[in-house]
Amino acid sequence: MNVLIIGGGISGVSAAKVVLKEGHSAVILESTPELGGTMARIANCRIGFKTFYDEIKDDPRLRVVRGASIADVKKAGDGFSVTLTNGEASGFDRVIVAAGLSPYDPVEYKGKRVLTSLEYDAKIDQRNGELPEDFEKIGFFLCVGSRSKEYPLCSSVCCSYTIREVKWTLQRAKPEIAVFYNDLRLFGQEFYLEKIYRDAGVRFVRANSRYFEEDETGVTVRYFVDGELKEERFNYVVLAIGLRPNPGMKDLGALFGFSVNEYGFAAERSPLATDADGVFACGGALEPMNIKDSILTGFGAGVLAVRDAEALIAEGRDQGLLRDEDPPGITMPQGTFSSCAFYLGTDDPGEAMFYEYMSARFIEAARTLNEAGKTVYVVTKNIVMPSYDEVTFEKARREGVVIINLEENQSFVPQNGGFAVTGGGKDLAFDADHIIYFKDYAGSFAGREFLSVHRSEPQLRWNPTRWSRKKYHVGFLRHPRDKRWKPREILGAVGEIILDREEERLYPTIEEERCSGCGSCMDACPQKAIEIKVADTEVSVFGPISNTGIPKAHINEDSCVACGLCASTCPSDVIKLPEQEQKIPNCTAIDNRR
Amino acid sequence: MPQIDHAIELTDYRRQDFSVCLGCKICASVCTVNDITGNTNPQDMLQRIFLGKDISADEPLVRSCTGCYRCTGACPWEIRIPDVIRALRHELNVESPFEKAFKGSVSLFGRVYEPYVLMKAVPFLIRGGYMQHVTRWMEYMGFHLPHRVKRT
Repeated sequence: MNVLIIGGGISGVSAAKVVLKEGHSAVILESTPELGGTMARIANCRIGFKTFYDEIKDDPRLRVVRGASIADVKKAGDGFSVTLTNGEASGFDRVIVAAGLSPYDPVEYKGKRVLTSLEYDAKIDQRNGELPEDFEKIGFFLCVGSRSKEYPLCSSVCCSYTIREVKWTLQRAKPEIAVFYNDLRLFGQEFYLEKIYRDAGVRFVRANSRYFEEDETGVTVRYFVDGELKEERFNYVVLAIGLRPNPGMKDLGALFGFSVNEYGFAAERSPLATDADGVFACGGALEPMNIKDSILTGFGAGVLAVRDAEALIAEGRDQGLLRDEDPPGITMPQGTFSSCAFYLGTDDPGEAMFYEYMSARFIEAARTLNEAGKTVYVVTKNIVMPSYDEVTFEKARREGVVIINLEENQSFVPQNGGFAVTGGGKDLAFDADHIIYFKDYAGSFAGREFLSVHRSEPQLRWNPTRWSRKKYHVGFLRHPRDKRWKPREILGAVGEIILDREEERLYPTIEEERCSGCGSCMDACPQKAIEIKVADTEVSVFGPISNTGIPKAHINEDSCVACGLCASTCPSDVIKLPEQEQKIPNCTAIDNRR
Repeated sequence: MPQIDHAIELTDYRRQDFSVCLGCKICASVCTVNDITGNTNPQDMLQRIFLGKDISADEPLVRSCTGCYRCTGACPWEIRIPDVIRALRHELNVESPFEKAFKGSVSLFGRVYEPYVLMKAVPFLIRGGYMQHVTRWMEYMGFHLPHRVKRT
């Protein structure tokens, strides 16, 4: 089968991986001269993309067409006959749309010192030389060009990206940093990052601003917090720009016959499939999403294009490879009452990573109660409803659910027959018959094996569903979030199983005779795949033979990734990695060294 | 009648236009009235009206809003706060010195006669200490340029 992949960003390359692994040929069509898309515009992600792409770039069945786009498409039987702008024409059986996202350009605010987050990224990129001299005070402003009347979706990645930009800034210099946000919509463990930077002195202010008066030496910013207007000077102001759909999506839709929704993204008929036969979509063509989800949906679209996904999912379930649990429900207040309040707030970053799930459930419950004629208050410290969830949130606001946003130093105080909001120059009291707290549900998350809790950032990114080689987590057990993600995650997991299954791995070997059981390999293993087992051995020392327990290292091959750290750590060369066959045939550099 | 119903009647606003506010306080950051008072937050006022609380005539926003629509231009949801304030003024029977000057001019001369308006309004501007802000307010006019035109 011949598959056309439109867009050479991270999701397109992920889809190509699955297609190639299954033995089909793929053409990646990229309209710019370089692969990588939005991900490669981020300095710290460029290497990651390159490494990921390098794994398939020498595959003879892969062809990459750069700097061209589609001129004409004709339906030919089950497939498509495609003519490119560079004159090439060929037939394809399946098409994967991975057209990606285009960052918003805030021309009306931009200046020499008011930068977009991508421009700022280039400024702190080490390869662009030294930082500017006046790098002492930096302000980050979120939600520029998203969550508005013009574009009502939340971009879902700008908060995470800003937290990382704070991290990369602090790695190079020690400026004073303030982050101005509406809601901090972080993903999973990023809430720990937030906590760390809060403790390190980064200021988080729950207010936004569009008053940027730029001059030669800095930017004057006004913002309103604690009941009064503050004016502050920053050396640089960074606008966290939103991600909009690719403007070419409509044309693609017209060429291939799939429909585009009101926001400009591909409409899904079934998960990851557009409403045209043989055309699938992944990554930023579906909605704004982060890199992990782009890879996940890329794998999923690859599976849909070349295999019978239904059968593979059934097979995966039979073998017990796919693992999921049912999410806990919300207990709705019973009896007669007129008002209800939801308090969405927690200070523990371990609980905060479930904001995304709880916000959606609380808003859903609030809308139901509101429809039944109750007065509903939602008091939030942070409400996490990324991408399409923001539309639901907007509906709730329009329907009259009262949203009260707490500022940093405001607090929620339950009172007799209601609650009060105090601090920060505001004192409001409300009547509420019932109050439902976030922390009441925090217990239902404890002890579960969430992938997003137990896996580190790189593991989650490159292996978006893998718990071990025998378990792939999907749905609630991967990361608690909106329902629409579960079927996508199942497809992604199937793609990952395909990529994992046939891969030949060389596991390290242990010479058990000589192992002293010192445990240094166990400490070194990033996957916790080594355990020390006590083996009964007969020993004879100066006398009769007796049984003794001797500790020996043991490798659990399910979780081993064959990274070789144990082999290099072992003090007595007991653990060895089998020699891998030389991939580069005539490397002169190595020959010369010898 | 609660103020919100009044405001809905006088503007072409629906109830949902009040509640769609994100609470980002961008309106407060650009509000011209904040040059004088420093604690004006249109978002807070909007929320109070929505919650059925009464707004008094002493409110700085009701007293001094110039109807410049800077808040609307910057607001992600383009909420037209000056429209609401005009409705409030109507309900509370408040007239700003400018309105008085304009109306006086129309009733006296049958048209807006600028020297008369200035004669009536300038003493108020001087007494209120507004003159020091005038240069800055002139700069704000750039804000009204059409969307996507860069200020330099």
